[in-house]
Amino acid sequence: MKAIFTKINWFGLAGGATTILVIAVSMFYPWWQLTVGDDLVKVNASPVNMNFGFLGTTFTIPFIWALNVVSILILLASGIAMLVYSIIPRKSYSEHLLGFGYKKPLFTLLFFVIGLVVTTVICQAVLSINVPLMGSTTSTLPIPFASGITISVLLSAAFQWSFWLAVVAAGLCIAARLYHRKVAIAPSATTVT
Amino acid sequence: MDKVRLLLSLITIVIIVVPIVGMLLAYQDNLLGLFIPPEINEIADDLMGGDGLDEFELEPVGQPQYDEASRTFSATFQFKNTFPIDVTIKSLSGNIKCKEHRFHLGNASLSEPVSIDKGETETMTVLGTWTEEAISHFHTKHAGEETVDVVLVDFAVDVSGIQIQLDQSQMEQSMQVPNPVYEG
Repeated sequence: MKAIFTKINWFGLAGGATTILVIAVSMFYPWWQLTVGDDLVKVNASPVNMNFGFLGTTFTIPFIWALNVVSILILLASGIAMLVYSIIPRKSYSEHLLGFGYKKPLFTLLFFVIGLVVTTVICQAVLSINVPLMGSTTSTLPIPFASGITISVLLSAAFQWSFWLAVVAAGLCIAARLYHRKVAIAPSATTVT
Repeated sequence: MDKVRLLLSLITIVIIVVPIVGMLLAYQDNLLGLFIPPEINEIADDLMGGDGLDEFELEPVGQPQYDEASRTFSATFQFKNTFPIDVTIKSLSGNIKCKEHRFHLGNASLSEPVSIDKGETETMTVLGTWTEEAISHFHTKHAGEETVDVVLVDFAVDVSGIQIQLDQSQMEQSMQVPNPVYEG
């Protein structure tokens, strides 16, 4: 029984399961949410499901939807690879499965955060709208060709719990890579004479 | 082992390429639609078609009431929601000026938030308080008048979390208020 426990990469198993859980959860709960005014504009962002709410209408951008599908498939493949690897970490091909699986949740997370930062910087530079990554701020909207009108809106943004679940998934996958050295070493064979 | 590595690389490429190429093919006749969904056009049409701020007008209802003890008057207005969505007017404030002399008489504010569905009309009550200087102004300039024409200017409105400030050049709401010093 103990042998079974030592043969399994538990970090990998947890990482793979959490990665698949992240996909399921992110369908319904965004990683990051931006609200403008009293829900007049809402941005629900995650690599898995990104949608926008504007004046009560919810929509997605087809190209972003395609990228969401890419992310879902990448995370799904990563999760499955991690699960398979974790159960059989000593097979000859297991290291390839681990190499394929462990980086993808981390890269998805990094691309998402970098994408958010770049988007907020572009909003500031091009539209002069200060979009917070976390917290609230009041931003004055530029109104071309209209003098005497000032429109300012409260922008509130926050990373949601599903984002932190993705951080945990990425962390577990990295831990699985580090733990692999321990679990991959086959126990020394005892010779009976 | 190399076969596994090759298979995994192939899976990665397929996963990345197929959805993007598929979407490009689906939108090959309308590449702009790839980035601008039809909903955005509908919203733009709604915003362009709606009167929005252009029709931001308060229609007075009945005669304003005046409370001498607190130097406060209340005036009721009708407001039609011309925005393409349901809105809540959380606050409204402005300055009251004498229409004839442009003298600052006091401040006005909304008595309580008002929620108005898209296209509907609701009544709202605005409370105004005269300053000491305003009372003197009524004495010196409008002593014999039962009502005085005033204007609400420098509006600051909070509509569903969006704060809109309109200066005099954008909006001036005229109304008649009872002269607090009239002894007719």
